[in-house]
Amino acid sequence: MAAEVKKGIDTTKNPIPFEMAQVPGPEQAKCYMPKVMGAIIKKAKRPLLVVGAELFDDPIMFDKIIEMGKMGIPIAATAHSVKGFVDRGYLENVYQIGLHPLTNNLRFPDWKGLDGQGQYDAVIFMGIFYKFANAMFATLKNFNRDIKRISVDRYYHINANMTFGNMAFIPDDYHAAVDEVIAAMQK
Amino acid sequence: MATREGSFSVEDMKNVQINIGAVVKEADEWDQEMGPHPKPGVATLRSWDHMIANRYKIMYAPADDTCTLCTYGPCDLTGNKRGACGIDQAGACGKIVLIACLMGCCAHAAHGRHLYHWCMDKFGDMKFDMGDEILVDSPLYQTIMGTKPKNFKDFNEGLYYLEEEVVQLLAATHTGQESAFIDFESKALHAGMLDLLGMEICDMLQIVAYNMPRGAADAPIIEIGMGTLDQSKGVLIAYGHNLAAGAEAMLYAESNNLWDKVDIGGVCCTAHDLNRIGLGKGEAKVPAGIGMKPKVAGAMGWWRKMIRSGVMDCVMVDEQCVFCDVLADAEKRKIPVIATTDKIMLGLPDRTNDSIDAIVDDLVSFKMPGVAVLDPVKAGEIGIRVAIAVKPKRAEAKIQNLITEEQFKESVAKCTQCNECAFVCPPHIRISKLIADAVKGDLLPFSNYYEICVGCGKCEQSCPQGINILDLFEYANRQYIKNQKFKMRSGRGPARDTEIRAVGAPIVLGTIPGVIALVGCSNYPNGTKECYDIAKEFVDRGYIVVTSGCMAMDMSLYTDVDGKTIWEQYPGGFDGRNICNTGSCVSNANIGDAAIKVATIFAHRNHRGNFDDIADYILNKVGACGVAWGAYSQKAASIATGCNRLGIPVVVQPHSVMYRRSFIGRTDKPEDWMVIDARDGKMQQIEPAPEAMLYIAETKEEAMVEMAKLCFRPSDNSIGRGIKLTHYCDISMKYCGKLPDDWHIFVRDAKDLPLVYKEQMMKELESKHGWTIDWKAKKILTGPLRPADVSFDPTNLPRKIRTKK
Repeated sequence: MAAEVKKGIDTTKNPIPFEMAQVPGPEQAKCYMPKVMGAIIKKAKRPLLVVGAELFDDPIMFDKIIEMGKMGIPIAATAHSVKGFVDRGYLENVYQIGLHPLTNNLRFPDWKGLDGQGQYDAVIFMGIFYKFANAMFATLKNFNRDIKRISVDRYYHINANMTFGNMAFIPDDYHAAVDEVIAAMQK
Repeated sequence: MATREGSFSVEDMKNVQINIGAVVKEADEWDQEMGPHPKPGVATLRSWDHMIANRYKIMYAPADDTCTLCTYGPCDLTGNKRGACGIDQAGACGKIVLIACLMGCCAHAAHGRHLYHWCMDKFGDMKFDMGDEILVDSPLYQTIMGTKPKNFKDFNEGLYYLEEEVVQLLAATHTGQESAFIDFESKALHAGMLDLLGMEICDMLQIVAYNMPRGAADAPIIEIGMGTLDQSKGVLIAYGHNLAAGAEAMLYAESNNLWDKVDIGGVCCTAHDLNRIGLGKGEAKVPAGIGMKPKVAGAMGWWRKMIRSGVMDCVMVDEQCVFCDVLADAEKRKIPVIATTDKIMLGLPDRTNDSIDAIVDDLVSFKMPGVAVLDPVKAGEIGIRVAIAVKPKRAEAKIQNLITEEQFKESVAKCTQCNECAFVCPPHIRISKLIADAVKGDLLPFSNYYEICVGCGKCEQSCPQGINILDLFEYANRQYIKNQKFKMRSGRGPARDTEIRAVGAPIVLGTIPGVIALVGCSNYPNGTKECYDIAKEFVDRGYIVVTSGCMAMDMSLYTDVDGKTIWEQYPGGFDGRNICNTGSCVSNANIGDAAIKVATIFAHRNHRGNFDDIADYILNKVGACGVAWGAYSQKAASIATGCNRLGIPVVVQPHSVMYRRSFIGRTDKPEDWMVIDARDGKMQQIEPAPEAMLYIAETKEEAMVEMAKLCFRPSDNSIGRGIKLTHYCDISMKYCGKLPDDWHIFVRDAKDLPLVYKEQMMKELESKHGWTIDWKAKKILTGPLRPADVSFDPTNLPRKIRTKK
C-alpha cells in the first residue's frame, strides 16, 4: 500500500478535473485533507450522503458508506445503488431516489428533505458517474449556494466546494483517505 | 381594392402584376373545423409552454459559468449572477438551449427543404398518397399547420412557415433580446415542435417519392454489419442522413447492371432510407424492391472503427452526423471522398460542373483525396464508378488499413501509464490498463471494451506519446468488424390507422402499459448493448416498443440464446409485445404522429390547428415515454424538446447533462399537480403522472424503472393502473432489489394494486402510510389522494371544460 499511514493521505494532489475539459469558470473547488473533510461533515447540521452506481465497481465502498450511515447521516441511494444496501441488509436511513430529482429538490430552499425534516446544509457525493455528478454540482453551485457541496469521491470535482484531488488510479490511497474521513467524523 | 377570404376584385388599376401563391380551399374533404392555433407563432402556445414549465421545473446544469457571446464578455455568471448585458445564468443557459434546439431543428428543416426541391425536380409534383390504411396521413402537419397537404407542392407552405419561425427564434437569441429563461424555454419548445414538423415533411416526401413502406408491420428483415459487404466488389459507403445521392448511386448501379461489381453500404440514417426505397405499395417511380440491394453498414458511432476495417473503397457523405475528420481518415487510407451537399463540403473543390470522367480519373488516380459534387445524379454515378475502379488501385497501393503485430507491440510499449487518455475518455475506459494487459499479450480486455468505446478519438489527441489508440482497438478486434453480420427490420414508416384503432383504448386505459420509443444514437453510457437490454425488457413485458435511427441499428448487434436478433424475436407491428423500426432519424416524426393519431382516431379529438389540445390529451392520457440513450447531437435535444411540447416525457442518459436543461416535477408540491376535470370544471389533484418531462438517469437500470413510471397517466383505469404498477414494481424489484419508495402515491383504490404484491402492499399502506383498510372487504377506506374514476377527464386547458347545453 502506498498510503502514508501516520501522516495521513495527501488528498490535495492532482487538482485536475477528471474529465479535463470540464473547466467551467473562475470559481473552482479546493482540495482538502481527509481530516478536514471529516470535521466539516461532522459539523454540518443537516448533511446528506449521496451515492451512486459506481459503488458496484468497488463494493467495499458500500461498507464504508454504511459505516457513515450508522453515524446518523441519511443516505440518498441514486441510480440503482439501493440494491447494494438491500444486499447488505442495511436500509435504516437509506432513501431510493434518482440524482436528477434529488438535485432538483435540493435547489429549492422550501424542500423538506427525504425525511420531511427540512432542507440539507451539506451534500456529500460518492460513487457517482463523474460527468453526472459534476453537472449536478454545477446546478447547486449556480442555483442554491446555501448547500455545501462536498465530494468524497475519487475524482477532483471542480464544481464542488470541497473535494479530493484525483485518486482514481490509486484505489488503496483512496480507500485509506475515506477511512480517515470516517475516523474524523467519529471524533 | 376590396378583399375577402378566397376572392378579390381589382378596380381602376393598370399595369398591375398579380402573383397567386396558393389557392386555399377550405374544409373540402375534411370534417374538422379549424382549431384555434393554425401555424402558431413564437408566442401563440406560450401559455401551454408555461404550464409545462411551471409543473416540470426548468432545471439547468451549466456547463460553463461564464458567457462569452458578446464583446462585454467574458462575464462571470456563477451563482446566477448577471452579466454586463443584464442576463443571468439561468437566462444564459436558456439561450444556449434554444440555440441547440434551433441547430437540431434547422438540420431537419434544411434536409426537408433540400428533399422538397430535389423530389420536385426529379419526380415532379406527386400526389401525397400514404395508401388506404393511412388516412390521417400527416398528423403533425395537420395539427400544426391546420391544412392537409395533397401534393408535394403543398409541403412548401409548411417549409415556408418553418423557415420564418426559425428566423424569429434565432433573432431572439441576439444579445439584448430575450432574457427570461422561461421564455427561452418556451421558444425552445417551439423550436422542438418545428423540428417534429420538419422531420415529418422529410419523411413524408421521401416515403412517397421513393415508394417506401407505409406502415408495413412486415417490413423485410435486412442485413446489417460491415461483414455483409462483399469485399470482392468495390464498396461504396453512403454516410449521413439525406438519401438523394445514395439513391442515385443505387439507380445507376441498377440501370447499368453493376450490382455484381459494387456493393453499397449505408452508414447512419442514410442506411435506413436507402433500404426503404422501392419497398412500398404506392406509385412506383423507382425500381420495385431495389431497397433490398444495399446493405446497412452500421450506426454513426461505429464510423471510426468501420473506416479502419479496410472494407470500404469510396465514401459519399451527405449531411448531418458526419465526423468532421472523415476526409483526414479517408485520405490516410486512400479512400476517395465525395461530398454531395452544400452542408458539408470539407474544404474540397466544387467539381459539380466538371465532366464525370475527369472527376473519376482524378479520384481513382489519387490526384485528389476528394471532391464536392452537389448534383446527386452526378455524385451517384461518380461514387459507383470510383468504388469499382479504385478497388484494384487501392490493392496495388498496398494500403495499410490495420497496423501490424509489430506496430501494435511498438505502440503499446510506448505507453508510460500516465493516464492522460483516461482523463478524456467519455465512458471512462482505463485505456492504460488495457494497454498494460496487451503488453503482457492479453488482448481480451481490448475486445471487451470495443463496444463500450464510442470511437471519439479524444484519447489519441491527448496521448503525449502519440499512440493511435483507436488503431490498437481495431487491431485487437480486427476480425469482429469484418465479420459483423446481423439482421435488422427495415424501416416501416408510420403506424397505420387500423393499428391505432386496435391499440387506442388499451393505451388510454393502461391495459397496454405504455409506448416506449428508443430514439437517436446509442453511444452512451455503457455501449450499444444497453439499448438492446432496454428494448428487450419492455417488449417482453408487453409494451409497444418503437425505435428509429442508429438505435434501431445498434440493437441489431445482439442476439438471444437462439442466435436471433430482437427483430427476429418479435413481430414489427405497432402493438403490445411488438417492436417496430420506424426508419431513419426523420422517421421519429412517426412516433409523435402515432400519439396524435390516438387522440384523433381513437378519441375523435379535432387536431386541425389544435396543437395544445392534442398535447394536453397526450400528456394526460397516452402513456408514452421516449428514451434517448446515447444521443450526442443537438438534433436529439430538439427532438426531445418537441416531444415534451407534445406531452411525451423523455428519459436521457447521463452524458445528456451537456444539453444543460431538464424538466422535472416536484412531487412534494400538491399545487403543481392540479388539473381541471373537464366534466364539470372542478380542480382535482392528481398523482405525479408523468412526474418528469426530461429525466436524466445515471444507469440503464434507473432508466428502466423511471420509464415504467413515466407511462402512468391520470386516465388509467384500475386494470391499467394495476398493470403499470406491476411492471414498475417488478422492474424495481429486479434491478433495485426492493419496491420503489413512492409506489403508494399511484394507488387510488385496492383494485389498482398489483395482484402479486397486493397483500404486502395493503399491510404497508396501513402500517407505514396510515391508510385505513377494510380487511374483510379488502378495500381501502381512506388514504388515496383521489378515488379511481374511470370517467375522470383531466385537462390543463380551461377551454376543454364541457358546458351544459
